[in-house]
Amino acid sequence: MASPIYTLFGFAGISLFLGMSVLAPGQAKTKPKALAKAKTGAQVYQAKCAPCHGANGQGGAAFPKPLTGTQSVGELSKFIAQQMPPGPVKCAAPDAAKVAQYMYDTFYSPLAQERNRPARVSLSRLTVRQFKNSVTDLLSGMQPRWGVGTRGGLSATYFRGRLWEGKYPIKRVDSGIRAQFGTEAPKVPGLDNVDPHKFSIRWVGSVVAPDTGDYEFIVRSDQAVRLYLNSQSKPLIDGWIRSSNDNEFRASVPLTGGQAYPIVLEFSKSTVGVDDTEKRKKLKPAPAFVELQWKRPKLAAETIPSRFLFSQEVRESYVVSTRFPADDRSIGYERGSSVSKAWDDATTEAALEAAGYVASRCQLVTGVDPNAADAKKKLAEIMLRTAERAFRRPLTPEQKQLYVEKHFVDTVSTDSAIKRSLLMILKSPRFLYREIGEAQRDSYLVASQLAYGLWDTLPDDELLRAAAAGSLVTKEQVEYQANRMVQDPKAWTKLREFLLSWLKVDEIPDLVKSAKRYPEFDDATASDLRQSLELMLQQTAGSEASDYRQLMLTQQMPINGRLSQIYGGGLPKDADFQTVKLGADRAGVLTHPYMLSRLAYLETSSPIHRGVLVARSILGRTLQPPPAAFAPLAPSLHPSLTTRQRVAMQTQPDACSSCHNMINPLGFALERFDAIGKERTQENNKTIDTSGLYRTRGGAVVKFSGPVDLSNYLATSDEAHAAFTEKLFHHMVKQPALAYRPTLISELTASFVKNQFSIKRLMAETVVQTSLAPERKPAVQPTKAAAK
Amino acid sequence: MGLSAAMLPFVTNLPSVSELALLPRKKRLVIIFSPDGIVPKTFWPDQVGTNFELKESLKPLEPFKNKTLILNGVSDRVRGDGDNHMRGIGCLLTGIELFPGNVQGGSDTPAGWASGHSIDQEIKNHLQKSIVTRTRFGSLEFGVMVPEHADTWTRMVYAGPNKPIAPIDDPYQMFGKLYGQMKDQETLKSVLDDLQADMAKVKSQLSAQDRLLLDEHASLVRDMEKEIQASRKKEVGHKVPDMPAGVRRDNDKMPELSKLQIDLMVSSFVADSTRVATLQYTNSVGQARMSWLGIKEGQHDLSHEPDSNKEAQEKLTKINRWYCEQLAYLCKRLAETPETDGTGNMLDNTTVVWTNELGQGNSHTLENIPFVMVGNGLDFKMGRSVKFNSLPHNRLLMSLAHGMGHPIKRFGNGDFCGDGPLPGLA
Repeated sequence: MASPIYTLFGFAGISLFLGMSVLAPGQAKTKPKALAKAKTGAQVYQAKCAPCHGANGQGGAAFPKPLTGTQSVGELSKFIAQQMPPGPVKCAAPDAAKVAQYMYDTFYSPLAQERNRPARVSLSRLTVRQFKNSVTDLLSGMQPRWGVGTRGGLSATYFRGRLWEGKYPIKRVDSGIRAQFGTEAPKVPGLDNVDPHKFSIRWVGSVVAPDTGDYEFIVRSDQAVRLYLNSQSKPLIDGWIRSSNDNEFRASVPLTGGQAYPIVLEFSKSTVGVDDTEKRKKLKPAPAFVELQWKRPKLAAETIPSRFLFSQEVRESYVVSTRFPADDRSIGYERGSSVSKAWDDATTEAALEAAGYVASRCQLVTGVDPNAADAKKKLAEIMLRTAERAFRRPLTPEQKQLYVEKHFVDTVSTDSAIKRSLLMILKSPRFLYREIGEAQRDSYLVASQLAYGLWDTLPDDELLRAAAAGSLVTKEQVEYQANRMVQDPKAWTKLREFLLSWLKVDEIPDLVKSAKRYPEFDDATASDLRQSLELMLQQTAGSEASDYRQLMLTQQMPINGRLSQIYGGGLPKDADFQTVKLGADRAGVLTHPYMLSRLAYLETSSPIHRGVLVARSILGRTLQPPPAAFAPLAPSLHPSLTTRQRVAMQTQPDACSSCHNMINPLGFALERFDAIGKERTQENNKTIDTSGLYRTRGGAVVKFSGPVDLSNYLATSDEAHAAFTEKLFHHMVKQPALAYRPTLISELTASFVKNQFSIKRLMAETVVQTSLAPERKPAVQPTKAAAK
Repeated sequence: MGLSAAMLPFVTNLPSVSELALLPRKKRLVIIFSPDGIVPKTFWPDQVGTNFELKESLKPLEPFKNKTLILNGVSDRVRGDGDNHMRGIGCLLTGIELFPGNVQGGSDTPAGWASGHSIDQEIKNHLQKSIVTRTRFGSLEFGVMVPEHADTWTRMVYAGPNKPIAPIDDPYQMFGKLYGQMKDQETLKSVLDDLQADMAKVKSQLSAQDRLLLDEHASLVRDMEKEIQASRKKEVGHKVPDMPAGVRRDNDKMPELSKLQIDLMVSSFVADSTRVATLQYTNSVGQARMSWLGIKEGQHDLSHEPDSNKEAQEKLTKINRWYCEQLAYLCKRLAETPETDGTGNMLDNTTVVWTNELGQGNSHTLENIPFVMVGNGLDFKMGRSVKFNSLPHNRLLMSLAHGMGHPIKRFGNGDFCGDGPLPGLA
């Protein structure tokens, strides 16, 4: 029987070569001393272990088994000290520990093996975002859709009667709903002789949710009000019955980013129930008001801004409300690289919920009356098309039978048939996994890659038509589609998500500052700043030109009146968002006060946070985490120092400086701005020093005199262009770029530069290149039949 | 002495531990509402006491006469905003005023929702506090043809002030609530084999490395199948009721809807999913057109006709008799259904209360609100006709709570809780 420790190793799949007799006895005697002096685990390994186990632990002639396994560093170390090398003299414990660590990190551990594996396009499931979008689109696509109308407000109809009756109602578009009628009738041109005791208004249209999350809708009114959101039948807020003096109604609803939802607000000034108009005519009219607000995820409540409102009511759309475990983001972007029980349960729950939704609202969702004589036949056709859209390709006769036809036989009720069929479709690997089971690339595969790459959802009808016609083969054909798709709002939704994650503001909690130090900065400021940042992204990256340099350099700052009180710009207090130029020291997104506040402490700026963002996100540099956890030095302990001096002092030690020599000078260039992103020239009665520098990968030293200089460099730097290209690539494609070809990122960067830094064209080029890349290995293992 | 109570079983001849562990019987309360008042002379028995005769409206209760308790002389004293129909239903189970609001009735000032919770919810909250009496739902609110608009006339049950609870009047929706999860699992189970087969096909097309992920996924699907099988073994010990397809919410389908809802209620008792239930027929001012009885007019319209209109009185009597038949059907189903714990049949442990928002339709009186009870859930002395001298109905609401083991000191407006529960019921 082997010793316990040996058994342990054997079980774990590693057994170090024990019968070794290569080394001469003399060597064995002298070596321990030499080892004691050896500096690193790598050197020890290469000197003592590599001859038998191979330079990378891959095994050698004498001992061919690779050194891989799941033992911990401590276990490995103990084993080496006790057993290695063979012969009477064993490795000294400190060296064994070093070797163990080296082996573990370099090739032994599963993590190291993963790291060393050549990049490949691996099977991935839909990410949670992709799953939710796909289910929504799948259900919405069971019937033709129509547009949202024009942006800028809801269609309003004003009626003379208390319940939308009365002659000559007046229609117009209202940009937002916030009305104080007082004791009078609404002052709407063309609406004369209205009894201030009774009138009614209906606002109809669509609202677009910018982000995925829970939205709270708030209706304030002292009259009868009812809000329908994404439902024609069930009000989200029912304040039709006034009872007690509560004038505020709130309700939350989960919405998906980028989707338009039908919204209807009904308002009636009168009593409900029995008409008592005559009786009330003798009385003085009561005052009346109505206001429609929302509270976006993590933002403050506000009247719904007109830019999110559209004049036409879309059909209701399904929202997946199941909670999913978060996707893996360990390598910097969300990807569907793993499955878990929680994920599988969530897909089941979501599939059942969606199937129940369609079955219970059959007519609404499919347009087919489930009680009609030919309902089953029609519904089977709809489900076949649904399966085709879900799987992103036509079904074989066998699949048609399995997923649809066998459920729509006479013995199964219509309701059950819909449920079973849809449940199967949504649980099928053909839906849940990206591009599988394709022996060779064809137009359908290209369509799917374009759709998920640019939109994170299913191919639309036009893509499927092109795929069916086989016209997604040449580069020109694919480019044509990609250029069309990149103009779609869904592409902007995806790009917007990328920008927020690239700038590290996608998952932050509410921005809070010290009320003592910055009394002017409250929740409303934080919320306004966030909107301002999003508007800036929209006006630069989201514009027609979509110019990366604009993003880095724009001096047009979208601010509203409240922000203007703090940051200047000369707007009146109640002004809505508009673009102004804010001071000569601002250029681009990096100098946006939201970014600067986010990358700061409660009271002081943080050059380190700012420098890390520039180094990591914008320049694509790799930074090791700090060797230990450090609390920043308290400003109050060094009242005479500027933040810059304090940070420099704390990061002076050698262990820090290797990274902080890069981080600090990048962040120092932004010291012009304080903890809420306001410009300053002095700190603690000392003049601010905004000089900074950057040592490029090539070794050149670039100096900056301040923020604008820094932004200018980042707008023109090759390193920044390549980093942006690569990060965008991974966000879109969710596979390692190296898996396609080693030169792909540099090719894409070159085209980015050539195309006037158009981010949208870069997106299009990225999906064109990956969907046509020949690198994918044939998925099918050659069988005997295929070999013939 | 020095002997603690916990030690007593060991030294005296008290019941054994297993007998002590027996749970108390499952007491249940059902409240049935029908609208627009009754016809007093065909409803109230002429006699008081155990020897009484059921009149035309109450004839369907003949088989349960010795389990029936008829309470005359109980009145809704709550005043304030709102017309009598509104207060009639809104204060019926809450015993408290309506908030001022914007709902204008046929008379009086406009009002809103009730300013307190209803007695069924009070009892539910009490039962849900103890693991002995806690059930999956605590209470279920059934309805039959309740109009789709939410206003003071259509809501009887309140979770709290300004918190009306909408009854579920679609039996399919109620079925989904009761059995949806089980149905979902059945659907899931029916597709799992096919799904796994197709998964295997997909797998055969993948590279060895990619197969690992799908293998992992496939094992998760197998785990789910096992979980479903395990949970099916633990399922409630009764058959899931068969639902006939396509009974639409339609006036003419009221008899079918009523039967379906009553059957579902009994099923929910068998599963012990709830011990409190309400069943609301239409609404206050309800306009059921009972064409199946040969009556073309709406009930509310008929109820406004004067006592001198003999035809209207006859029709109203027929209408109330129909509601009484529904009550009798429920009692019959309960009496036929044995308790799973061996404590007799369900009617032995359930009290069904049938009530109305008005004493009489044409006068809109809130005096002599009909309260007819059947069954022995509350330990009242049954088989009687009782006449009180206009006692406030808050005291009856308290009696219901006391009967369900929840001895509250007041309920709703304290001014009407006088000397506590109604005298002489238990």
